[in-house]
Order: sequence, then C-alpha cells, then structure tokens
Amino acid sequence: MEEQAKMNERVLEKVRRALGRGAAIVDAPVAPEIHGAIAARVVEGSENLAEIFARMCGENHVGVEFVAAGEMSVRLVEFLLHEKVKRVAMSAGGLVSRLGAAEALRRGGVEARMWGEITLDEVYDFDCGVTDVDYAVAETGSLVVRASEGNGRALSLVPGLHVAVVEESRLLADLVDLFDVLGREETGSAVSLITGPSKTSDIEMTLVRGVHGPMRVQVFVVG
Amino acid sequence: VVKNMADEFDFEQSSSAAAGDERLKSAVSAATMRQYSGRQARLGELRDADALRELAGQIKQHALDHLDFYLERLIAAVERNGGKVHLVSTAAEAREVILGIAEKAECRSVIKSKSMVSEEIELTGEMERRGLDVVETDLGEFIVQISHDRPSHIVAPIVHRDRAFVGRLFSEYFKTAFSDDPEILTRQARGHLRDKFRRADMGMTGANFLVAETGQVCAVENEGNVRQSITTPRVLVTLAGIEKIVPRPADLGVMLKLLARSSTGQHLTVYTSLFGGPRKKGEKDGPEEFHLVLLDGGRSDILGSKYRETLRCIRCGACLNACPVYRKIGGHAYGHVYSGPIGALITPLMHGVEQYRELPQASSLCGACFEACPVKIDIPRHLVNLREEINSRRINGRVERMVYRVWAWGMGSPVLYRVMGAVQRFDLRRRGGKSGWISRLPFVAGGWTQVRDLPTPAPRSFHQLWKSKPK
Repeated sequence: MEEQAKMNERVLEKVRRALGRGAAIVDAPVAPEIHGAIAARVVEGSENLAEIFARMCGENHVGVEFVAAGEMSVRLVEFLLHEKVKRVAMSAGGLVSRLGAAEALRRGGVEARMWGEITLDEVYDFDCGVTDVDYAVAETGSLVVRASEGNGRALSLVPGLHVAVVEESRLLADLVDLFDVLGREETGSAVSLITGPSKTSDIEMTLVRGVHGPMRVQVFVVG
Repeated sequence: VVKNMADEFDFEQSSSAAAGDERLKSAVSAATMRQYSGRQARLGELRDADALRELAGQIKQHALDHLDFYLERLIAAVERNGGKVHLVSTAAEAREVILGIAEKAECRSVIKSKSMVSEEIELTGEMERRGLDVVETDLGEFIVQISHDRPSHIVAPIVHRDRAFVGRLFSEYFKTAFSDDPEILTRQARGHLRDKFRRADMGMTGANFLVAETGQVCAVENEGNVRQSITTPRVLVTLAGIEKIVPRPADLGVMLKLLARSSTGQHLTVYTSLFGGPRKKGEKDGPEEFHLVLLDGGRSDILGSKYRETLRCIRCGACLNACPVYRKIGGHAYGHVYSGPIGALITPLMHGVEQYRELPQASSLCGACFEACPVKIDIPRHLVNLREEINSRRINGRVERMVYRVWAWGMGSPVLYRVMGAVQRFDLRRRGGKSGWISRLPFVAGGWTQVRDLPTPAPRSFHQLWKSKPK
C-alpha cells in the first residue's frame, strides 16, 4: 500500500506543478454559487408537484397511480395478481413491508419473499421486485432508491417488472433539491435514480425497451 | 481490419476513405442529426439554458483550477467510505493496477460497462490476453467487442454499423437463425449477458463525474449494465480520468440537467448511479471491495498549458453531432478514441502533435461545436491556437507553411489583398469562359473541383460595388 501512496503523490505533484503551485493548498477554494433561479426547472410552490411527476412518468413510460394510504395494501395485491406475477421479491423494513401484502399474495398463489429471506442469486429467478423509494423527483419523474440493509440493489434492477411505492411527502421538485438533500444526509453505499424502464438505441437508433434492467416500471404514490 | 492506434496515422487517407463510403455517411448523418435535433428541443425546456451552460463551465473550470486540492479531498472521502484510490500516470500503469486488483482478489470473470478511458488504455484486449473472461456489457460495446471493432462515437459506439451487420454477427456468434430486428437482437444479448452478470467476480465502470466532497462516482446509462456492475460482483473497479471531478453533490444537479439533453436528447438518462465504496454492514448486495483508478495519461500536461479549458469536457458527444466534418467522415477517421471536434483537439494534445498534426485541420471553424458544448469549451479558438502552434513549431509540411506565409503576407496589406483579388478574379473568369462554371482547377485547388464545379466570380468585387454605390 506504501507503493500506491507514493504513486498517488507522484501524480498529485505533477498536477500541482501544472497549476503552478509549489505546495498543497490549505484553505478550501470557494466553488461557484448555484443559483436556484438558473438551475431549477420546477419551482416548488408554484406548481403542483404530483401533477408534474405524473406527467413525467408518462413521458418516461412508467405507469403511475395515486392511492390513499389505507387502500395501498389491497391495491398492490390486486395489481400484482392482475399482472399474473409468479415470484415477488420485496423490500424489507420500510413502507412496503408495513403494507403486509406478502400474506395476501401467498394466499393468491404468488411466492412472495422479503429481501431478508432470499439471496442475491435467487433474485435472478424472480419476475417482480416491489421496493421502497426514498425520494421521487417531479422535474424528471425519477425514483430515487438508496441501497440499504432492507432495500437491496438487485430488487429494482434484476426482475423484469419493478413496482415502486413512494409516499407523496417524498416528492421533490427538482434535481437541484435532490442533490441538496442527498448532500446533507447519509447517502449509504449507493443511490440510484430510476427514470423509466431500461432501454437502448444502439442498433440503428431504434428504441428497444428492456435491456439489462426491468422491462416495465410501475409506481404507486401513497397520499 | 482495425489498425493499431500506434501505427502511423494518415488523416488524409482515413478521412478520404470514410467520405467515400456512402453507407457509413448516411448512417452517421442520420444518427447525428437525430441526436442533434433532440438536443435542440430538450435545451429549450430549461429556464435559461445558456446561463446554465455558463454555470456548468464555471464549475468544471473551478474544479480544474484547483484540481490538486479536489483530488486530495476525493481520495480522503473515498477512503472514508472504505474504498481505495489509485492515481496512475500512464496507460500501462493503469492496466497493471487493474490487473493486479483482479489477480489479488482472484477474479476470473469481469463484466465491464462503457468507459472511454478503458478504450484509451486498451484494457479489454489486455484482460483477454491475461486469460480473464471479460465481457463488454453495453449493447453497442458488446457488438464492438465480438466484431473486433472500435467504437466510432462517444455515446453511440456502433453508429457506423447497420442492423443487417448486427444480425449476421449475432447469428454467427450465438449460432441462431438470422434476424435483423433490433428487438430480437437486443433480447438475445440480454439473455447472454444476464448469465454473465449473475456469475461475475469483478465489475468495471467508468465515471461521468466524481464528487470530491463525498467520494462518490456518478455514472449515467440507459441499459442497466452499470447498475449490474455495482450490484452483483464482489469487486468493483471504476476507471476515470483525473479531470472528472466536481466539488459538491449539488454540482451534479447542474451537470445532469445538461448532460443527457446535450447527448441523446433525453431529459435524464434512465439510470443515474452514485456509489463510492464497498457495501455497508448488513447489506446483501454490492461490492465487498471498491477501487477508484484515476488516469493522468497526458491530462496534467494539458492542465499546465493554454488548453486547460478543454479538460472541462464531459464526453456528451454534442460537438460530434453538431460537426459538419464528423457527419461526413464518422469517428474512425480521427484515428483515436476521441473523435469529432473535441477529438481533433485532445488527441494531438494527449498523444503528440507530431503524429496527429492533421487533426486540428478537420474543422471548418464554423463554431457549431462551441454552440453545442454544455460546458462552453471554445473549441474553434483552441483549434486555431493548435494550428498556429503546429505551424510555428514547423511540425507541418513545407508547402503548407509557405501557403500560410503567402496568405498572411497578402491578407496583411489592403493593397496586396485587392491586387491578389483582382488577379484571382481575372484568372477565374478566364477559366470559366462563357459557361460561367469552372470544372477544373490546377494544383491543390484541384481537390475542390474534383467533385464539384465552381461558379465564376462576379465581374466586380464587393469593394468596387460598394464604392460606386450612389451616396
């Protein structure tokens, strides 16, 4: 490791020389200020965030539905049975597990397992992942998922159908707000912004949905 | 056959060949026009796109002006997250460090997502030679890998290939019936790569931004292969250039609003991932080991030169899509990893102006690249500076230098300018004769009339007309 520290110092020294500095800077330089007025596309308060979010989901080919808190569990089960999913992997320790939908799904003949009960490798054989979402961004229609003990990275990535559940109070106006919030919080080991089903246009610019991530994404906003 | 990058580069030959390839030209032209018009529409959604570009440029410039400080801050932050940072000077060092990581962690299979820097250091080939089972997982890059090709566009690597080509390639590779339906072809690749994801020991990604304050990598994509790389394998390596740094998480808000819009005409890519260390205690997926390998590879030389601003580049490809020269010749003609206007600049700067002396000429200086650039790099100005430098260091040919001298002499004096204009007008009108068209010119000018006719100039110059204008 000593070796690597020496290599690092060598490159740093070269960079310092290129910048005309004899030694490392001690005081932190002041980065350009980010004016909300320039950067923000959506300003909270002036528009209805839920409406913008729903419109952007439409543009992103994400299904979106607003559901009252008391009806969410029933609606989720109904949706999944209607989709005829066979194996559902779910986030543990958050809103999704509190919905307690697993029992009802099992009664409906669906194998429903929580993230704590299955291995990463097993997720590859599941056709649906139901996950908690930390934030949603109205400007872009993005779902923001932080990796955590209960919310594995694979859940929103590996199964062909991703169903997300987010509380309406978690809606943020803009990317600028999001990174403001993320900058102040403990972000965990990984954060993913999900803005639609996975897609590619590599072959002759022809759009194909469903490459290495889910083919379909559905979000339920709980009011 | 793909030429080795180290071979003698002949831009005249490579660009003429490309310009003569009608299929290539129409494929590249269609793709770039589409991305370009997408960009135009998407930028219009922003409150003040121009002010935002200005701000993005300032943020990147600030990071470059204090790169030493932010690199140290980044290293400290990644270490705090439990990862390791390796700063390397050369491509060879980068390869050794990465292969060393793979060997030490006993990795046999590698899933690799798209990274321009990995093209710079020719990593995939080296991994294959060392016996690693490495697969490119971006669909375009996968096609590049199995056809032993090179990417020809920063964002759309196989823009030079059509669906029939991919159909034949897959039918041979997967031993299946031929199809040229992009949906079927994509599903085939999906199935093949899913198996690779599931079993990979090591994941490799590039980076769009590195956040100094939090030690996070930001990587954007549409397909989901970057996310696979940070989810399944037990070892994760991110390879990037040292210039990718931004100071704070908030800067990502600014950059991300511009990147996808400028690049593919999306408001945001499907996936934006932030990561910067191994999985935390209790997590069941994500890497156990994280390494960030940052390549200098000539960048510190550019940093110390008058071309520092060119390091702002966020590799969106907007200047390629906007460039009338790129649209005609595609990416391979530029002879190296980076093509288009930005490639014409940084390839000579990173790999030697002697070998790539012709590249800065691959521009009409129309300024479309500057207008498209989300971080406002004044590409035309830097191209002119580089041409000037090549001329004054006598790296170009004698004839070219002589032409410049005569030109400068004539353009420097109003009298000479008018005399030369009159001589030229007389000569061209004589050549055009009655038809009013010139179909052949002598010497170097002959190149111009090879594929088109030149109309003869008007009998009187603009100056003369202006003077005789009734007051």
